[in-house]
Amino acid sequence: MSDTTINLTTAADADISELIHSVLTDARESAGPADPTGAPTDLDRGLWATLTETGLAALTAAEDQGGSEASWLEAAVLVSATAATAARVPVVEHDLLALWLLAQAGLPADDGIRTVAVLDAEGRADNVAWAGQTDRIVLAWPSGDGYAVADLPTAEVAIAPTASLGNRPTARINVDPAAITGTPVGAEVIAAFEQRAALARALQICGALEQILQVTITHVTERVQFGRPLAKFQAVQNLVTDIATEAALARSATDAALLAAVNSDWESADLHFAIAAARSCCGHAATVVVRNAHQALGAIGTTKEHQLHEFTQPVLMWRSEYGTTAEFDEHLTTCAIGAGGSGIWDLLTR
Amino acid sequence: MPTTVSAATISPSVITDTPQMATLRAEVRDFLTEEIAAGAFRPTPDSWLSRWDEDFSRKLAARGWLGMTIPTEYGGHGRTFLERFVVTEELLAVGAPVAAHWIADRQIAPSLLRFGTEEQKQAFLPRIAAGDMYWGIGMSEPDSGSDLASVRTRGVPVEGGWRVTGTKVWTSGAHEADAFFALARTAPLDPQHRHQGLSQFIVDLHSEGVEIRPIVSMNGEHHFNEVHLNEVFIPDNRVLGEIGSGWTGVTSELAYERSGPERYLSTFPVYAGLLDQARAERASVDSRLGATAGRLFGLHQMSRAVAGALERHEQADVAASVVKVLGTLTEGDIAEDAHLATIPGRDDEFDQLVHLALSHRPGFTLRGGTVEVLRGVIARGLGLR
Repeated sequence: MSDTTINLTTAADADISELIHSVLTDARESAGPADPTGAPTDLDRGLWATLTETGLAALTAAEDQGGSEASWLEAAVLVSATAATAARVPVVEHDLLALWLLAQAGLPADDGIRTVAVLDAEGRADNVAWAGQTDRIVLAWPSGDGYAVADLPTAEVAIAPTASLGNRPTARINVDPAAITGTPVGAEVIAAFEQRAALARALQICGALEQILQVTITHVTERVQFGRPLAKFQAVQNLVTDIATEAALARSATDAALLAAVNSDWESADLHFAIAAARSCCGHAATVVVRNAHQALGAIGTTKEHQLHEFTQPVLMWRSEYGTTAEFDEHLTTCAIGAGGSGIWDLLTR
Repeated sequence: MPTTVSAATISPSVITDTPQMATLRAEVRDFLTEEIAAGAFRPTPDSWLSRWDEDFSRKLAARGWLGMTIPTEYGGHGRTFLERFVVTEELLAVGAPVAAHWIADRQIAPSLLRFGTEEQKQAFLPRIAAGDMYWGIGMSEPDSGSDLASVRTRGVPVEGGWRVTGTKVWTSGAHEADAFFALARTAPLDPQHRHQGLSQFIVDLHSEGVEIRPIVSMNGEHHFNEVHLNEVFIPDNRVLGEIGSGWTGVTSELAYERSGPERYLSTFPVYAGLLDQARAERASVDSRLGATAGRLFGLHQMSRAVAGALERHEQADVAASVVKVLGTLTEGDIAEDAHLATIPGRDDEFDQLVHLALSHRPGFTLRGGTVEVLRGVIARGLGLR
């Protein structure tokens, strides 16, 4: 009597999902232990070549951009999986953001690796992921009533590395907008870009939180103190269960926002609220998950040698990108008070 | 090497409302808006525990919103579990007075359907769906709270049935209800197999030997009771399920009991009120208001996802515990935030809501499995114990 509900797990293409997991798991296993002295933050061009061969590097892009034309449902699997394997590849920046923005501007793309940035009126952007590591950078800057978009070789952009928490370089970049020619796009394109970027970060956070849970379970199960595995201590179990519950809440809110985006082709008027809710849940989940995981892992978890930081540090970085957790909370507060007592339930269940 | 924990164990895949669910949601919402406008009830926190209103329950029954998942041959409506979920969410979001039918609708009817005899189903299910028979649940005892297998109420076989003796506590609504399920030991406790030898009896609360005494809550309300059973005769046809398999009965419905909207919406009327207070500048505004909205969004999604998993007959006990831990803590936080942000005496009606929520708050993380017990369930699901 009832038609079926849309179920996220079964919605993504199963063959693509399996390919993603096999490629990234192989890459993680063949990488070997991290160098305890170095800082392996460079873009992993070997893995990128594999992603390109398997059609995953430009998973959602159009065929004329060299893409595989998959949906965000498959992209979500890829993005979470790269985060869960600490893969140093810019799948979010290249495929979901840079190639998408070029397509919106009607600009062509070659097979170079790209990152992306929205500049201020002076031509500056802070905290640009992967800047300096990619072949090109797709830029948007305010121009007239909207924005202009251009696709520059990395060498033509002034790049100054900035502090990064994660295993991924960030930089402040500068260009002179007056010196470059851009293709105009409407302000709504950049607003849509921000939504996509914010949701992509949520998907990365979820993938990493789930991996942190896994790493923590493995550690407390194997590590013996006082003659028992740590997992047998109720105090330790509580640390781990709180990681699991918070990670689960973040995943539910993020998947709901993803479904709202895909089902409405990103047109839903409620999308901004859903994505803000997802990012709020992700940001606050990170507080509990990172704290508890490091507590459960003990001193070894604080070292370069141990893998935990490959997941905890990016989470902290991502939760502040394309909107801080505080900004998302403020947006939700404005929406909630705007809806008032009579409208809040409708807002939450639309 | 520990086995990999599937993310789906902890949170089933999120789903959307089907068109039928969306239509039903709108119908229920319209009905409730009219009822509130007509003064039929005032939105109240924790209304599913403490607002007993048989007239209101019968109004819902008349619209087909009681016994929704009971098959039509037993007087029910043959609707899906997800459709029932939508109705209960809408009712709790406005703090409607649903306590009278809550236990019957949530767990008595599903248990009867699963374990009851044909005669029991015929006798009780149509009356539950009609809002004509109200139930309680007799699990906890003075010395058996979280450790339910230690119950001391005993059932002794006699000619034609059983004599049941013992004391049940925290029995919500027993003073108004018609019947309850009583968990009792029918074989001596075997320390190696503590869950064996337990049985469930269907007890008519008007029977000889039943004495009901109020347990008054700290704010003066009376919804809890002690139920003393003094050699109460239970005929053989009022045993629920097999003698000795009571544990299966009490645990089988826990996923339904633990993940429902009553585990995150008990203080929703307070949150709604707080937004209006903030709007009228009678309460401080801080970003926790928004963070709570984000959490409620996530909890609504998780709870519906668990309902979807149950509809598909997937195992969801760990996921249900996750919803209950997060949801009941959030319910309490809403009461707390409202109190922290509100200057007393500016709006008496809102103050009353906040005080009610604060006084009910300790119960949120106790009833239906304490947060501590549920963390244990989750830890077991994660392979830690």
